[in-house]
Amino acid sequence: MATARFCDGQTAVVHEAAARATGNELVIYRPSDSGILARWPIGELDVLGDTLHEAVPPIARRGGHARLIVEDPAARRELAALIPQLASLAPVPPQAGRRIVGFGGALVTLVALFWGAIDIGTEYAAPLLPHTLQAKLGETVLDELLADKEECNGRAGNAAINRLANELAHEAGYKNEIAVHIVEGGPVNAFTLPGGILVFYSDLIDQAKDSSQVAGVLAHEIGHVVHYHPTKGLVRAYGMDLLAKLLSGGYSDILATVGTGGNLLWALRNGRAFEREADATGVGLLEKRGLRADGVASFFEQMMEKEPKDAAASAGIWSSHPATAERIAATKRPPTGKPAFTAAEWKALREVCK
Amino acid sequence: MSDSSLPWAGAGAKPQEQPRPSTTPPGTPWSPDLTPSRPIYDGRLSELFAIYLRHLVLMILTLGWSRFWGRTRLRRYLWNHVSILGDRFEYRGRGRELLIGFLLALVMIVAWGGLMWLLWVYVLHERPLASFGLFDMFSLSVALIGFPLAFVGHYASLRYRFSRTRWRGIRCAMAGSAWAYGASATFLTFANAMTGQLLTPVVSVNLARPRIANARFGTLPFAFAGNAGDIYGRFIGYYFLNILAWVIAAGIVFAAIGGTIEQLGLSFEEFMELFSRPTARTIVIVAAIAIAAYVVFSLLILPLRCWWQAYLFRYLVSHTRAGGVLFATAVTTRQMWGFLVLNYLIVLLTLGIGWPWVMHRTLRLIAGQLWVYGAPDGASIAQPADRGPRFGEGLLDMFDVGGV
Repeated sequence: MATARFCDGQTAVVHEAAARATGNELVIYRPSDSGILARWPIGELDVLGDTLHEAVPPIARRGGHARLIVEDPAARRELAALIPQLASLAPVPPQAGRRIVGFGGALVTLVALFWGAIDIGTEYAAPLLPHTLQAKLGETVLDELLADKEECNGRAGNAAINRLANELAHEAGYKNEIAVHIVEGGPVNAFTLPGGILVFYSDLIDQAKDSSQVAGVLAHEIGHVVHYHPTKGLVRAYGMDLLAKLLSGGYSDILATVGTGGNLLWALRNGRAFEREADATGVGLLEKRGLRADGVASFFEQMMEKEPKDAAASAGIWSSHPATAERIAATKRPPTGKPAFTAAEWKALREVCK
Repeated sequence: MSDSSLPWAGAGAKPQEQPRPSTTPPGTPWSPDLTPSRPIYDGRLSELFAIYLRHLVLMILTLGWSRFWGRTRLRRYLWNHVSILGDRFEYRGRGRELLIGFLLALVMIVAWGGLMWLLWVYVLHERPLASFGLFDMFSLSVALIGFPLAFVGHYASLRYRFSRTRWRGIRCAMAGSAWAYGASATFLTFANAMTGQLLTPVVSVNLARPRIANARFGTLPFAFAGNAGDIYGRFIGYYFLNILAWVIAAGIVFAAIGGTIEQLGLSFEEFMELFSRPTARTIVIVAAIAIAAYVVFSLLILPLRCWWQAYLFRYLVSHTRAGGVLFATAVTTRQMWGFLVLNYLIVLLTLGIGWPWVMHRTLRLIAGQLWVYGAPDGASIAQPADRGPRFGEGLLDMFDVGGV
């Protein structure tokens, strides 16, 4: 006999009760006058929940609202031993300390693996992503970007820049087509989107002193393409954001906020590493093809003359690019080699927006 | 109830001993049963941590899709370790109900995205409006509809949790419309922002009322007798003290930071240089300044806020009843500080891993500070006819962080 509390599921009256197992029934009765409260067929007994989560898993008749609550652990074990359907009342949950150590260890390992998979894995996985998928992503961003801007359509100029871009990319062993888009206006900048899509602002071409500067910047952007930097950057940012969200357990936005700050710094550090790699690759590709490779350094010098106070150097860890002086030192080359564009190509490129 | 009080207990007894109809003369003091009791929480932090860590491990393994089941397990633990008048609560929600709720909300968002796309293609002809492209339009509109929908989701989530909560085998329920609540909450929040937060008591009372008065235990409705006018006096005091405290705190912080930079003999440029190339020393100095600023803030501003919040909480609880059962709490400003400020710091400093500790502390506070006077008349409370929503919490999951 087990002492318990019984609620009939019809009203909120609670009865002090006792339960006794007969051959095929669990009889629940009042100990005071032995009045029967319920007779539940053994085959229809159910334990709601489990001992890991419920302090006292209620016993119910399957599908019913009535509850038999046996607070005394010894009495629960007794019932579990007598009635196989109530076996799940008996297990004593494993020590919490052991579970904490086990799950804590698993969590640390998983976080490390997740981090490693994002940081190192993308290095190898980004080139394996189908090119069509990367191009689709890049085109979506490009469409957004071009929606309120004018694209320069000079045929010869576009042909010239696309010719050089594809030659440099093939030199690096990149097998897909590169598409360079020239957008009218500023800033003096160029960037790369996933899927081998390059965007040049016409102000950059206008302000370039000679064709080697545009070629230098183009080669730098090709460096981003052949190293799959845009895709890697996106995957890493998304992966870290996801990790922060997962570790908050879906409960707290504080961690997500802290995570966003950390993520930003981490993405900027990634950005600076990407820029250094693209600088080195760009200069290397031009040299490999016997072209003038001093353009990018002279372009940076020209920028420094205009704005002696280097924003990238001042911003330090908050900058997406390394300090300009550092980049000039790393890419400095003599003004030797063939020009990257013919005189006619360079003229066409200068007039690409007209 | 003893057997002798049953109507049929006197059958066969002498006529003069039979219970007579009520003969209580007018004016006799009525003495209802108001025996005080408190809830009991017997959960253990270590057990809660073990369940939570398992939840985090599964979150990473399933990339977050296990959260519906993880939340359900945590709730089952917390609910079943709280008891009132000797009976434990039960949480009988299921992970898949939360999953379906989430998927339905996802479908809503996708449909909204489709609508934006149609607008973009057929109305705007793929030309941005005031430099707003499709993506901007979508994110801005989701943020705009997300604000009222988070309120709707909050109420719907309460309804779901109530419908999955049982005590003495009887389901709880929540009447009322989540959409009406969402509309009212959006309007009140907006009006409060427009009036420099001076409507806070009106907002607090009018948002508490539907949540309390629509709550049901079986067929027993809760009642709320609060009135914003009752708490305006205290609020006005808090409002102006708060402004004064901000002015003093800002003065102290600026004086401290200005003084520190000058004492270090640094120019502004050198100061900025310290931030862009942080050394271990800079990080320590910045952390110390941040902690000092937070201490000034927490000493001046937060106690005031907690003073008001504790008062508001005491007011709301003591103006709530369920049938003949009354509630009261004597939660103090200091306890409210522990609840609001310490809990926040625990989550922040443990990078979220301390969340179970926060839940544990919260339930201990409730168990220690909530007084229940009287007991419900069980015989008059029946199982509700309404089975509650079939799925739950999708909107909340999408637009807000879902608490336990």
